[in-house]
Amino acid sequence: MKNKILMFWGIMIIVIAAIILIAVKPIKLGLDLVGGSRLILEAQTTNNIAKITPEVMQRLQYAIESRVNKLGVSETVVQQVGDKRLLIEIPAITDLTEAKSFIGETAQLEFKKQAPDASGNVVWVPTGLTGQDLSKSTLSTDASGQWVVSLEFNSTGAKKFGELTEALVGKKMAIFFDDELISDPNVNEAIYGGNAQITSGGAGFSYEEASRMVNLLNAGALPVPAKIVEENTVGPTLGADSIAKSEKAGIIGLSAVMLFMLLYYRVPGLIADIALIIYSLILFALFKTIPVTLTLAGIAGFILSIGMAVDANILIFERTKEELRAGRNLFTAINSGFDRAFTSIFDSNMTTIITCFILYMLGTSVVKGFALTLALGVMVSMFSAITVTKNFMHLIFGTGELKYPALFGLRKDEIGKDYEATETKREKARFGILD
Amino acid sequence: MINTGRKHLVHIVKYRWLWMALSAILLVPGIFAMVYSSMTYSNHAPLKVGIDYTGGTILQYGLTEKISNEDLAKNRKALEEAGIENPYIQILNVNSTQQKNTKAQISSIISIRTKFVEKDSMVPEKIKGTLAKQYNNPELISVSSVGPTMGKELFKNSLLAVTLAVLGIIAYLSFRFRFDYAVAAILGIVHDVLFVCGAFSILGLLYNVQIDGLFITALLTVIGFSVHDTIVVFDRIRENLRYYAKKMSFGEIVDASVNQTLARSINTSLTTLITLLALYFFGGVTTKDFVLAMILGIAIGTYSSIFFCSMLVDFWNDKKNSMASV
Repeated sequence: MKNKILMFWGIMIIVIAAIILIAVKPIKLGLDLVGGSRLILEAQTTNNIAKITPEVMQRLQYAIESRVNKLGVSETVVQQVGDKRLLIEIPAITDLTEAKSFIGETAQLEFKKQAPDASGNVVWVPTGLTGQDLSKSTLSTDASGQWVVSLEFNSTGAKKFGELTEALVGKKMAIFFDDELISDPNVNEAIYGGNAQITSGGAGFSYEEASRMVNLLNAGALPVPAKIVEENTVGPTLGADSIAKSEKAGIIGLSAVMLFMLLYYRVPGLIADIALIIYSLILFALFKTIPVTLTLAGIAGFILSIGMAVDANILIFERTKEELRAGRNLFTAINSGFDRAFTSIFDSNMTTIITCFILYMLGTSVVKGFALTLALGVMVSMFSAITVTKNFMHLIFGTGELKYPALFGLRKDEIGKDYEATETKREKARFGILD
Repeated sequence: MINTGRKHLVHIVKYRWLWMALSAILLVPGIFAMVYSSMTYSNHAPLKVGIDYTGGTILQYGLTEKISNEDLAKNRKALEEAGIENPYIQILNVNSTQQKNTKAQISSIISIRTKFVEKDSMVPEKIKGTLAKQYNNPELISVSSVGPTMGKELFKNSLLAVTLAVLGIIAYLSFRFRFDYAVAAILGIVHDVLFVCGAFSILGLLYNVQIDGLFITALLTVIGFSVHDTIVVFDRIRENLRYYAKKMSFGEIVDASVNQTLARSINTSLTTLITLLALYFFGGVTTKDFVLAMILGIAIGTYSSIFFCSMLVDFWNDKKNSMASV
């Protein structure tokens, strides 16, 4: 009895620790609950770069990261998945279309000059001076009040630009942004200072156009173009709705299960209900500590695991009732109930964990969330449904004969009928049967 | 006799043919639907496949007014006129919960599936324009988009996941049980998977329900659950065989074992079904089909482990004995 009481306090300490953790730590909610966007970009090969190497991916990730940071949203994620893909998560974004085109833009700035091609036509050809030679870019206005993009070259860029303008005096030079001609001014003189300005030909830049270009240039060009291959966006309205509904479904589901257990199994049912509350507390504390990002599918996994957590208790109680019907005393019935149900419980949880493991390894992120919460739930339920319930059962019922069968939802006349010992000697020793 | 505390509630051996017929009645409509679907759908799939596997884009708009399925045809026509190719439309009605932090209540969601929207296409603008003509201020609430190559990859991954899970379970069962028990349990899995797929094939034909990555997840969960149920029953048969093999016939032991585990089998499924039903009726719209697949799967899984698998084990044993006596 002494270790039983010790164990009880051990359980209480775990529960208190869980409550404190829940109170202190914030919960991480997934994008489908808070609203936001999840994109998968795939690096595309070009004529110049025929193979996506890890080095290219690193540069791409760096460039995308600095762009995502420019969006001014907190808690963004940019991470590589597989060989040539990047996963991007942007919570709480308002104008997605704009953000998407901003992220996916190659932002390749190129200076070109005119030269005859093979058939004698005059075309623009690259000069070797690109956006990579910039140190920074700023937004400013020129003398006539037009928006312009000011460029400041780094030392090699300044040198290249100087040589280029020197060679092109009296001729045209063109500025291309993502293969689109922005302007093609005449070069009047060589420029050595390492500064230049881009003005738009025609009507001039609008403020939005110019500032967007400045941002893109400062964030750096993408080493290779990247295409969006998967997208999941959820507006904040739907997210809030999902949270409210999941809360409601969880509370209704949990209370209905608890009511059922209480009505069907009586006092043991009440104990299982307490174990279920302890289960929810521990699991929730775990979610916050690890931390597990809670998504809609993750919540479904959690709610499903409630149903599965009581399964262990149902197995145990059914077995205990059978032992009581066979006329055993309380202590023996409870012990053998737990003991005999254990293999079934362990087996079932193993199959679930195997499935979850496979789902976690192979699934998409939505499926991963479901698998993770379900697996964690199953593991915690092994503790709550077996250790916690067994301890409480022993503390409450003690060791005597069963005086009130109604406590177990049994009728008096069921007890002790057709008693037949079915244990081997070893099992008798294990369950502590003295007959 | 084995004490089950009450008279036998179910008779597996006596009504063997009834259980076989019931399984057939449950499975045949779905099988028909799958055959019909694979003959009529352009991609020859037995189920209607969602964008996760084919590639495509789904745009969902929240509307403040309630709309009914009769609006489907009208919307489809309007969208086609606006130049959207082959739009699939679904209307989801929202049983609104009180929302503290949103301005307008969303009463229904219109979900439009098109082919994969490329970066610079005007499709979202066109759709919004068309909807704005008919409804008051439609709000874009979610976008899911899967590129065509990505879809093929996801499909391969899902097939791999299902294969691995089934192989894992077969290995586990053969390790835990005799060969004939394992075969019966696996036939039970086939039974359950056929039922759920058949039901979704019918739903696909009638209500345009499409399967996605979550459907596969539901299927795997159901398989795990159903195998577990079967293990509990078979465990009991094995245990009883140890003590009663000389006093009772195999059929009697099967009947007694099923009845001993009956309360447990039903109660476990019941508690799980309670939580799933709560999710279905009160939970979010986006996981509804996923939850439905699990509800169907767990219900049929319970049926199959009580009636179908135990019947098979007994049937097999019978055949073996009659062969031996000849």
